[in-house]
Amino acid sequence: MSEEYDVEFIERGDTEARFLVRDVDPAFANGIRRAMVADVPTLSIDEVRVVENSSVMFDEQIAHRLGMVPLTTPPNEFDEEDVVTLAVDIAGPATAYSGDIVSSDGLVEPATDGIPLIELKEGQRLEVEADAVLDTGDSHAKHQGGVAVGYRHLQRVEVVGDRGEFEDDEPRIVRGVIEEDGELIPAETFDNDLTNRYAGKEIEVHDVPNAFVFDVETDGSMSVDELVSEAVRTIRSRADELETAIQL
Amino acid sequence: MMVPVRCFTCGKVVGEHWEEFKERSREGDENPKQVLDELGVERACCRRMLVSHKDLVDIVAPYQ
Repeated sequence: MSEEYDVEFIERGDTEARFLVRDVDPAFANGIRRAMVADVPTLSIDEVRVVENSSVMFDEQIAHRLGMVPLTTPPNEFDEEDVVTLAVDIAGPATAYSGDIVSSDGLVEPATDGIPLIELKEGQRLEVEADAVLDTGDSHAKHQGGVAVGYRHLQRVEVVGDRGEFEDDEPRIVRGVIEEDGELIPAETFDNDLTNRYAGKEIEVHDVPNAFVFDVETDGSMSVDELVSEAVRTIRSRADELETAIQL
Repeated sequence: MMVPVRCFTCGKVVGEHWEEFKERSREGDENPKQVLDELGVERACCRRMLVSHKDLVDIVAPYQ
């Protein structure tokens, strides 16, 4: 494996991206994927103090729903022991949304405002105080910053000849991204069916060695860029830890 | 009772799309498939969260 690797973006959004990484081995690619899912710490509500809850849901159910709400977590601003206090105070008739969560820290806010927490009827009220803590996805799914993170081999399509005139027109389904003369083409552009792109041709599909197309989506607690670099940072810090631990 | 905040399987936040989905495909007459596509709920695991949901707050509320 070389020291440097090549990263090329195919799609790049704030919470969703697709990029190609070259010159990494499968173990390293999987290491990054796992780190994105399980090892990047994010803030989530972990403890809730209920002042008043006269809604139709139990305190525990409300606490669980609050915990699942993604909170914006700027990297390197918080330590493992830090606690951020948040509060909700809504009286019915109204619906309490994630946007009604008031934070004591300007950096930490619900990533999206439109998640319904609980519908309150006339005379019902919800007043809670909550503590958000920093933890990783391997301890609880609510701390998981990366959602459905995966990767696939980059594929290369080779035309080996013409199709026989009377052969069956079977679809040739391919997913992910294919490479053609150095150009990257997402399979969705030809409806995932290679016969649309190479009509009447006999084709072979090969994996490009050590080239992986990552699909990364975040829950909104941080951007894709931050998530990937944080994942790499956690791998590096654990590698350093191992190095010092085995030194004589 | 209330719509789940996240997809059980992948963890995508789906709760935020519920009210629009309900308004357009349950109360309106749009095709649920198209509504989900437009909302960006692509995976089958996230789609079933919205498709199979039923609000129960109104049904439970009288029995406090």
